[in-house]
Amino acid sequence: MLTPMLDIGQSLLNGFTFTVELTIIGIFGGLGIGILLAIGDMYGGRLVSALIRVYVEIFRGSPIIVQLFIGQYAIPQLAQFLIVHYGLPSFFLVAMNPYVTIFLVFALNSGAYQKGYIKGAMETVFEDQMMAGLSVGMSKAQTVFFIILPQALRIVIPAWSNEFCSLTKSTSAVALIGFTDLTMAGKDIAGLTYDVIGAYSLVAVIYLGWITLFTKIADVIYEKKKIPGIELSA
Amino acid sequence: MADRVMECTHLWKTYKPNLIAVKDVYFKIDEGDIKLVFGPSGSGKSTFLRCMAMLTLPDKGDVFLRDECLTKPGVDLNKARARIGFVFQHIYLFRHLSTVGNVELALRRVLKMSKSEARQRAMQALSDVKMEQWANNYPAQLSGGQQQRVGIARAIVRNPDIILLDEPTSALDPELTGEVIDTLRDLAAKGTTMLIVSHEMPFAREVADEMIFYDEGTIVETGTPEQFFTNPQSDRAKKFMTRLILKTKRE
Repeated sequence: MLTPMLDIGQSLLNGFTFTVELTIIGIFGGLGIGILLAIGDMYGGRLVSALIRVYVEIFRGSPIIVQLFIGQYAIPQLAQFLIVHYGLPSFFLVAMNPYVTIFLVFALNSGAYQKGYIKGAMETVFEDQMMAGLSVGMSKAQTVFFIILPQALRIVIPAWSNEFCSLTKSTSAVALIGFTDLTMAGKDIAGLTYDVIGAYSLVAVIYLGWITLFTKIADVIYEKKKIPGIELSA
Repeated sequence: MADRVMECTHLWKTYKPNLIAVKDVYFKIDEGDIKLVFGPSGSGKSTFLRCMAMLTLPDKGDVFLRDECLTKPGVDLNKARARIGFVFQHIYLFRHLSTVGNVELALRRVLKMSKSEARQRAMQALSDVKMEQWANNYPAQLSGGQQQRVGIARAIVRNPDIILLDEPTSALDPELTGEVIDTLRDLAAKGTTMLIVSHEMPFAREVADEMIFYDEGTIVETGTPEQFFTNPQSDRAKKFMTRLILKTKRE
């Protein structure tokens, strides 16, 4: 009796750990990408802005599962083709290991959504604060870095917290390409115990706990970082 | 002869469609001068001031700060702007920084001062505008008049060559206007070179060396405050002064 219980526990722990890794890398990688895209869209000129729009539309306009399939199968095949026929350094194939590609897909996907939140927040503080920054002798880049971004990132916390919830749930798509995340662990346990309701209820509770914990942390950060005297709204 | 601090020649700025905010303007201000620009709303005074500070880039013409032509290609405008203090009508403090943070930011990031030196200078500037006791408050925790005094401290802390003030009291209640005017009076007493857009006529009469009536994108008339109060030359200036004096009396 004890061994199956230990197996179930281990399986859940492994699945949960992988889900946590995916969401943390996805959300923070996406944050970095979102910031770069938002800055590029606002200051990069028409060409950069158009390219960013194409990128965002691709990632927002196609299902994550399709993006995962492309990342998992199509891109390594393309890399192989380029290595064989066009002399692309073989390093790219090594870098395209299955784990790297799925982490990358989640970060790129989340970055496309986060770009919208961050740009929106930057626009709400942009005009007068940019003028004020320039008036004291700061460059545009300094003004963005020291004045606009710190305010925009505070404003974006509630939207960012929602993105985290959405991303966490999206990670369950990795089960379809053969990775064992929390959902897949639930499926394995249901198969092992024939207790479908119990297995998936347990999985749901773990998701709920993880999402609640993270959003509570985000709420605390939001309260702590709130600009005194100003109620921020997302 | 006093040194030239700023000058502009044949300055133009047009907004689409065909709205000319600055039309072939010539202007010069010397060391220690206080010049006051006034005129109807929408006449282009703020744009003129922003063009002088190169916060809005003029379409044509030259702007000089001391001997440097700021409109010449390749000029480091950030460095030039660091030598000009600018006070905005709607204040525009950095909302996420405390009062002292607002004042010391440019000292740290632009003039590359050490933290302690920047803090010391910022506190001195806040003391000059009588705001040192609110050093750790955030902008939203201050009254409009206090915020504008912080705005002035932020402008003077770099010891700029000139301070440009764009209607510094127009967004404030009459009772808060007084504290900002007192601060400007102190700056005037110290010999600070200032170009002020304002309709505060008693203040203008007291401190301005020259008043400039600006309308429809151009300088219509210049003269001493006494000339404007007793005998303005152009019809437009006459009408405007009459309205302003009546308004001031009512207040």
